[in-house]
Amino acid sequence: MTDKPLLEITDLDVTYRDRSLLGFGGRTFHAVKGANLVIRAGETLGLVGESGSGKSSIANTVLGLVPASGGSIRFGDVDLAAMKTRYPPAVRSRIQAVFQDPYSSLNASMTVEAIVTEPLRVHTAMNRAERRDRAVELLKLVSLSEEHLTRHPHQFSGGQRQRIAIASALALQPKLIVLDEPVSALDVSTQNQIINLLYERREELGIAYLLIAHDLALVHHISDRIAVMYLGHIVEEGPSDRVYRAPAHPYTKALLDAVPLLDPAAQRRRRAARKIAPAQDATRVAETGCPYRNRCPSAMARCAQHMPPAYPVEGGGTASCFLLAPDTGGETPGEAA
Amino acid sequence: MSIDTKTMPQALPSGRRRPGGAPVLIGIAVAVLLLLALLAVFAEWVAPYDPLRQSLMEALQGPSTAHWLGTDDLGRDVLSRLIYGCRIAVIAAAEATTIAVLLGVPIGLFIGYRGGLWDWIVMRIVEAVVSIPGIMVAIVIIAILGAGLHRAMIALGILFSTSFLRLARGVVLAEREEVYVRSARVVGASDSRILMRHIFPNIAPPLIVQVTLTVGAVLLAEAGLSFIGLGVQPPQASWGTMLNTAAAFMDFNWFLSVPPGIAIILTVLSVNLLGDVLRDSIGRGIAVDADPRAPAARYAAELPATAASAPVPRRDDEILRVEHLQVMVPGRAGGEVPVITDLSLSIGRGETLGLVGESGSGKTLTGLAILGLLGAGVRATHGSIELNGRDLRTLPRSGLEEVRGNEVAMVFQDPTTSLNPAFTVGSQIAEVLRVKQGLGRRQAWARSVELIDRVGIPRPAERAGAYPHELSGGMAQRVAIARALSCNPSLLIADEPTTALDVTVQQEILDLFRDLQDEFGMAILFVTHDLAVAADICDRVGVMYAGEMVEMAGVDALFADPRHPYTSGLLSAMPHASDRNPPLPTIRGNVPRPGTWPLGCRFADRCDFRIAACDRRIPLTGSRRQVRCVRAGEPELEAAS
Repeated sequence: MTDKPLLEITDLDVTYRDRSLLGFGGRTFHAVKGANLVIRAGETLGLVGESGSGKSSIANTVLGLVPASGGSIRFGDVDLAAMKTRYPPAVRSRIQAVFQDPYSSLNASMTVEAIVTEPLRVHTAMNRAERRDRAVELLKLVSLSEEHLTRHPHQFSGGQRQRIAIASALALQPKLIVLDEPVSALDVSTQNQIINLLYERREELGIAYLLIAHDLALVHHISDRIAVMYLGHIVEEGPSDRVYRAPAHPYTKALLDAVPLLDPAAQRRRRAARKIAPAQDATRVAETGCPYRNRCPSAMARCAQHMPPAYPVEGGGTASCFLLAPDTGGETPGEAA
Repeated sequence: MSIDTKTMPQALPSGRRRPGGAPVLIGIAVAVLLLLALLAVFAEWVAPYDPLRQSLMEALQGPSTAHWLGTDDLGRDVLSRLIYGCRIAVIAAAEATTIAVLLGVPIGLFIGYRGGLWDWIVMRIVEAVVSIPGIMVAIVIIAILGAGLHRAMIALGILFSTSFLRLARGVVLAEREEVYVRSARVVGASDSRILMRHIFPNIAPPLIVQVTLTVGAVLLAEAGLSFIGLGVQPPQASWGTMLNTAAAFMDFNWFLSVPPGIAIILTVLSVNLLGDVLRDSIGRGIAVDADPRAPAARYAAELPATAASAPVPRRDDEILRVEHLQVMVPGRAGGEVPVITDLSLSIGRGETLGLVGESGSGKTLTGLAILGLLGAGVRATHGSIELNGRDLRTLPRSGLEEVRGNEVAMVFQDPTTSLNPAFTVGSQIAEVLRVKQGLGRRQAWARSVELIDRVGIPRPAERAGAYPHELSGGMAQRVAIARALSCNPSLLIADEPTTALDVTVQQEILDLFRDLQDEFGMAILFVTHDLAVAADICDRVGVMYAGEMVEMAGVDALFADPRHPYTSGLLSAMPHASDRNPPLPTIRGNVPRPGTWPLGCRFADRCDFRIAACDRRIPLTGSRRQVRCVRAGEPELEAAS
């Protein structure tokens, strides 16, 4: 692991346009607003958030599937954001992906050999025999074997399909793999097999991961750093253990508290301590101020006026919350709630 | 997570005909087409007469030894004309179909993938062509090109290309959103490569069907065009011209229409049949079981052993009691495969029983079996389902419908699909009240607004008039819960009701369930794959594995002291159960598919504590705490959990 960033996202904006009936005009919708992230070589960054938080938009922008509308994404010597979605092959081959749904991420009409060797066909001049040898190597890396080469995806279980997807992502020896919810469609007993596999390959091959997931506990296991997103903003970022054990942002705390404990008695105590939250009205996108202020128990008047900047957190990382401001501005947290 | 919906279709009949289902028919089809090809190539040698040789003396004769199929109005030999007609048929079908495919598929692929202006322009032209009767379009094209077989076939090719174009476009529109296309783009495949290598193979199955249909249509269209003198020119022989001759002389010799008619029917049927077989053999989405027949047969022989399971103790406040339930699905190679076996459970008033398990464990089917909503071909074959003392399995259909909604209601996983998008949420609740409780329109509406308020939705009167897509997932699930509770059921079945929701919303919904149960006192059967959710909401938890209950206990006892190796394996595999740093604990292997279950303990192949006794069928033992493991309670297992 070196200190030189492999991927550096600065002030990234991603917007989508609501097409009106005739294709003219329409509203612009901000999926990501001013995101800053750094991934170092061989490091895993966990990007956590609920649906609509913009985490997948960041993944898709890094992968060149969706153009950035502002900011930069430095990858080595190039700016991915400036290339829009047209990456040269040398860049493409160094960023690969594993997607969530192993049932639709593999082409049903292709054999495992064709799926695993497809990146080699596109990017290398290897002949058929060489590609096949490499495919066998790759399958071994994911604990599958040569006999699986001629089979079709439907003959595999979800966990095995995800292994095939990982083998294909490893084919070009990328520097960065974007993992978009890689285990959330899998059974509990197979989830950890895939997590372990990803972890081992990372150690061996020195790959960096951008791990997108909704489950903080799961992300915590294999991430070096964790970033938490809420409505397009990165609200907290820091070393994995610090974010998981000592969350600084109220949203990160809420996210951790919302996962039920495996100890029913402890869960009952926690539940009793918590008042029943009123149902949240449809999410309002805050144009100014903190995006979380409508749901935040410690919201203050200033939260509505300004987006809180990223304040440093003890133990490493930052959180965008006025609670961490050196000067509270004379307000009591919670009075604007 | 939508685990169950993904794997269940593999166990259920797919509606697809089995390739090799009728080998004799396929043999005949191949033979017919082979014969057709041979006759077309070797017509000069095979035909007994020159097809154009006239003999007015022998006109309109029936079949004889000299003329096996008789003669036509000009005394020409029908058999010879039929054989030469094969050549025309082959040329016509091949020519027109090839033109249609070569023209329609690439354009369809292109506009489907590119979209935008190209798509708009081409589709408007296609719509214009399709809106006019096909034969008229063909006539117009022939008017431009001139008459004759080849020109007519070009015209037909252009005409039929529109259906290939729309087919290809439709498939591309659907496929280009698939994740595998995104994967291909990440790999760096060019657009043309994605189209040709990744998307095109997925067009093959519908394409083959379309080709076979087109071949049939071309043969008929050729006959039509020849009839009006725009296709094959007399005196040349084609099946179409022969039919037309036959039509003219129907009164004199009815037999004339039989040979070309049979030839056309046989050819079209053979092509269609062969196309079906080809499409099936491409094998998209057919799961392969080890041998679904054998385990089913084996299982049936073992049935008596299941009776050894301890009965669930009866309780006074029992709402639901299921005993020794067995559910079978049709196997892929015929026969039936068990998906739930020896399942017993009971739920008391105001109690929440969790049903926990991974995909294929049968937990969702259990809920559906109680409601009598098993899919086609799936049936409960043994056991009883008693709700408030009545056995639902013996009820007639009308009785079951009466029970559903009134006594038992269900909340599904995905609220956005379980609510009908065409109606406001208020009217969907009101409808249940009107049908089940006979309330008037106004009364029902008022009550549904009350219910919407009760499930914690702000501004209920306004929200009742909203459509499902206007609500967030959490709000929609609240509406679904309100609808389920509208008739005050004594049992609520909740099938993964929080799985599609974010964790912070999940927390709200779980709180709501608990709150509503305090007020309404219904029993809840809570189906979930998430042990943490079960720990939060349930009073008792049943753990299912491969179609059977492996452990059932009070929630505190189960989490503090799991007795079955599978339960403790699952618990330690939970993400927040262990501390950082992989390797994380796993359960090796995969959940076996229905039909491939081991004969003895179904978890044995993945279990670290397996002994010889595990190869026999294991009954569920115990009364308050039940476990299906011969080694439960042994110190070695206790230490491991």
